[in-house]
Amino acid sequence: MNALALKSIVAVSPVRARGSELRGYLTETQYEMTRMIRNPGVAIPVLVLPCALYALFALLIAGEAIDKDPNLGTFLFTAFSIMAVTMPALFGTGVTLALERDMGLLRLKRAQPAPPASWVVAKIASGLILAVLAYAPIVVMALATGKLSLGSGQVVALSAAFMLGTIPFCAMGLMIGSLASGTAAPAYANLIYLPGCYLSGMFFPMPASMYWQTPIWPQFHVKQLAMHLAGLTKEQYESLPMAIVAMLGFTVLFAGVTIWRLKQKG
Amino acid sequence: MNNTTDSRLHALDAVRGFALLLGVAFHAALSFLPGMPPGVWFAIDNSTNQYLGDAAFVSHIFRMSLFFFIAGYFGRLLYQKLGARSFWANRLTRILVPLVAGWVILAPIISYLWISGLTKAFGGTLPPMPAMPAGFFPLGHLWFLYQLLLIYVVVIAIRSLIARMDPAQKLRGLVDRAVSGSIRTMAGTFTLGLPVAAALMSLPFWIYWMGIPTPDMTLIPQIPASVGFSTAFIFGWLVHRSSDALAAIAQRWVSNLGIAIVATGWLLHSMHLTPMAQPGLTKTVYALVFGVALWGWVLGLTGAALRFLSNYSATRRYLADASYWIYLAHLPLVVALQMWVSDWPLHWSVKFPFILVVSFALLFASYHYLVRPTFIGQLLNGRKYPRKPLPPGSSPSPASPPTADTVNGGPVAQLRGITKKFGAVTALHSIDIEVRRGELLAVLGPNGAGKSTAISLWLGLIEADSGEVTLLGGAPQDIAMRRGLGVMMQDVDLPKELKVRELVRLAASYYDDPMSVEETLKRAGIEALANRPYGKLSGGQKRQAQFAVAICGRPKVLFLDEPSVGLDVQAREALWTSVRRLLADGCSVVLTTHYLEEAEALADRITVITKGRVIASGSVNDMRALVARRQISCDSQLTLEEVRTWPGVVDAQRTQERLQITATDAEGVVRRLLAADVTLGRLEVRQAGLNEAFNELTKEAA
Repeated sequence: MNALALKSIVAVSPVRARGSELRGYLTETQYEMTRMIRNPGVAIPVLVLPCALYALFALLIAGEAIDKDPNLGTFLFTAFSIMAVTMPALFGTGVTLALERDMGLLRLKRAQPAPPASWVVAKIASGLILAVLAYAPIVVMALATGKLSLGSGQVVALSAAFMLGTIPFCAMGLMIGSLASGTAAPAYANLIYLPGCYLSGMFFPMPASMYWQTPIWPQFHVKQLAMHLAGLTKEQYESLPMAIVAMLGFTVLFAGVTIWRLKQKG
Repeated sequence: MNNTTDSRLHALDAVRGFALLLGVAFHAALSFLPGMPPGVWFAIDNSTNQYLGDAAFVSHIFRMSLFFFIAGYFGRLLYQKLGARSFWANRLTRILVPLVAGWVILAPIISYLWISGLTKAFGGTLPPMPAMPAGFFPLGHLWFLYQLLLIYVVVIAIRSLIARMDPAQKLRGLVDRAVSGSIRTMAGTFTLGLPVAAALMSLPFWIYWMGIPTPDMTLIPQIPASVGFSTAFIFGWLVHRSSDALAAIAQRWVSNLGIAIVATGWLLHSMHLTPMAQPGLTKTVYALVFGVALWGWVLGLTGAALRFLSNYSATRRYLADASYWIYLAHLPLVVALQMWVSDWPLHWSVKFPFILVVSFALLFASYHYLVRPTFIGQLLNGRKYPRKPLPPGSSPSPASPPTADTVNGGPVAQLRGITKKFGAVTALHSIDIEVRRGELLAVLGPNGAGKSTAISLWLGLIEADSGEVTLLGGAPQDIAMRRGLGVMMQDVDLPKELKVRELVRLAASYYDDPMSVEETLKRAGIEALANRPYGKLSGGQKRQAQFAVAICGRPKVLFLDEPSVGLDVQAREALWTSVRRLLADGCSVVLTTHYLEEAEALADRITVITKGRVIASGSVNDMRALVARRQISCDSQLTLEEVRTWPGVVDAQRTQERLQITATDAEGVVRRLLAADVTLGRLEVRQAGLNEAFNELTKEAA
């Protein structure tokens, strides 16, 4: 008798309005974003670094070389754009998740009636927004200075590809955040991310003797996707579908580890 | 029996750790070998030494076989303890995950070092790649994990086959006797080497120095390694089967080491004459003696460890735990150091110890700070022998649930017959607790009593091993039920970047019909803090902000886990007022606290938990009555011995002339006191406070 009576007492509404569910996700994302922007430790390196590096390399150091060989311009543009979009995806999700686990915040969210995946959605969404914010100045700079000689269709396709490229890195960030402690997470994220930037051939082409190891880095596949869309045949080492499948595969792998780990430890 | 088994395991753990740490020293020596052709190892030092080369050879004869022997022993132990399914789950996390993760991380680093080492050795240009074996895959020094997994598969398959074919255990009984017999008569030392000797003889090019060729270049199993290491593994497995084989090994340690030394001496001598196997008699004899030396070392070292290292030692335990990580991680570091020092104009006797000291220092530091306290340590070492999970339903049957008290309304949250274990620790033993509508239930108990576990069950954070948890008439995992709860947890920090107002707004967005932010802040008494970032608040203010977050959704049940820790008196009074108002509105509250006056001030009912059991439950007055003891104190000449014998006296103490009596029947005792001592003065009778009651209760339970 109690259970039935109670249900009426506590007035659990049978169908929660869709609108308020959506509002929950939006509020969560809004505040996640607020937190990232207010945290200079995350925002500054992530937003400024790729943009500054692109200005240094593409405009100053290799400026003249690009004017002679536009393909070099495309190569460098994709390299720093991938860096710009993947860093917020990785560090924004991973490090903050690890910190929140340490703080007990994740436990609290699970106890509170927060929509089950709202914190994940919020993290991925704000990672994407930050990625856009980091990427925008690079593409503006590249187009304004003429260091990127691609058709507008290609630029749009590339931009979409970069956004797609953030997804495996969001998943990687969540994995690291779910495995490591708050103090160790930035170290692990760097440990996995930085070697990948070089060894994947993202910044400069690898010698043939190092080809065998490039596919283990997610950066490689994002770069390959970009190389296909930019039509840079010389730098294509795997087919377009293969690149997409590999990105998907990494996402599934990282997400799988994350789910397993959070189920175990919370 | 258990004790002796445990002490043997200490010794075997030590042996395994020794084999792995020896591997680090072995690799560190490889750049100092005289006559090593370029391209075989990462670096060649400008100062080499024959003795170091010989020592490395000796260690290489047995170190991996020793490892596989111990792995076989522990393999069967684990299989017996866990059963097939858990055994595989355990092995996949401990062996396969480190193999894959280690390879992904180490392979690029090692390849980089390899290429730069080769470039240096060949004067700046890379030599053409030699022909690669079929199925080329650079496993590196992680090959042993791969080999181990292969052996597990084969051995477990053989085991099930034999279990099917030999139901009467006749064959197995025979094998057990053969195993212990072979050790006792030393026949084992000579015959165990035969399979590996045969495999080595059949190799067309066998460089004596390499011993069993390392299968690190391919995923296809190599015959000598598979034969040699499976022999070691299977023998280890059989030693675990046999009841007295370990004792025999311990007994024969001297003779086995003696054989090992003689055979190794002969090997070293002949190796200096011909380093490469010649076909014919020399090779055959060499292979046979190699097998004898190998098993002499394996059995001799294991025996010595069983004889001398069987007691528990914290240092050895630490070394044994650290060895797995150290062996996995050592290679890039050792090699980088070798490459770094190879040109230094110093003697090998300076450089080799330098490499050892620096790499062990860094490896142990990394183990201590990055591995031991983190998930990597959990992954690599775990608990030593995971306990078999208890079969479901083995916990005591739940007691009949308490009847609902209709005065206060029915229960809004219940734990019925809950048992919850964390590994070996039983946090809750079949407990029943219920919270009724509109009441405040205080859950008291010392640290670690199980209070937070009980709350976590209600919050749906953990699941009980047995018993039933209900929250607002449903399961706490159901989000619809959780929309009726508010929670303030211990050890939780909210995002420091957000302002208090924003935190409340965010939490309010989870509920259907929340209070306004202003109303919430007013109720929590922190309107003044609305625009302060959480990170800038004091400890007490943080708790107040958390309280605001807990109440913003107009909860039906509010869980407050130690809410007033860190609050000053005023803030605590404000919190109490706020809680009373919620109660008046019909909200139920579950409160855990250390402050007894808090429970006395607020609680309708109190439940006392100690060591995972409910030892008392009732109203505040019930609790006092349950321990209906009163403190009588007076100035009296009566002796303690006399007073203690009186009926109704629980305890008596004396401080100077003042007599302190704890009594269940205070009136009777006072009457007798007055009668017995006419000089008695300053009589005082006091009801025991909840504090005393609580102390009595937990003391009795302890």
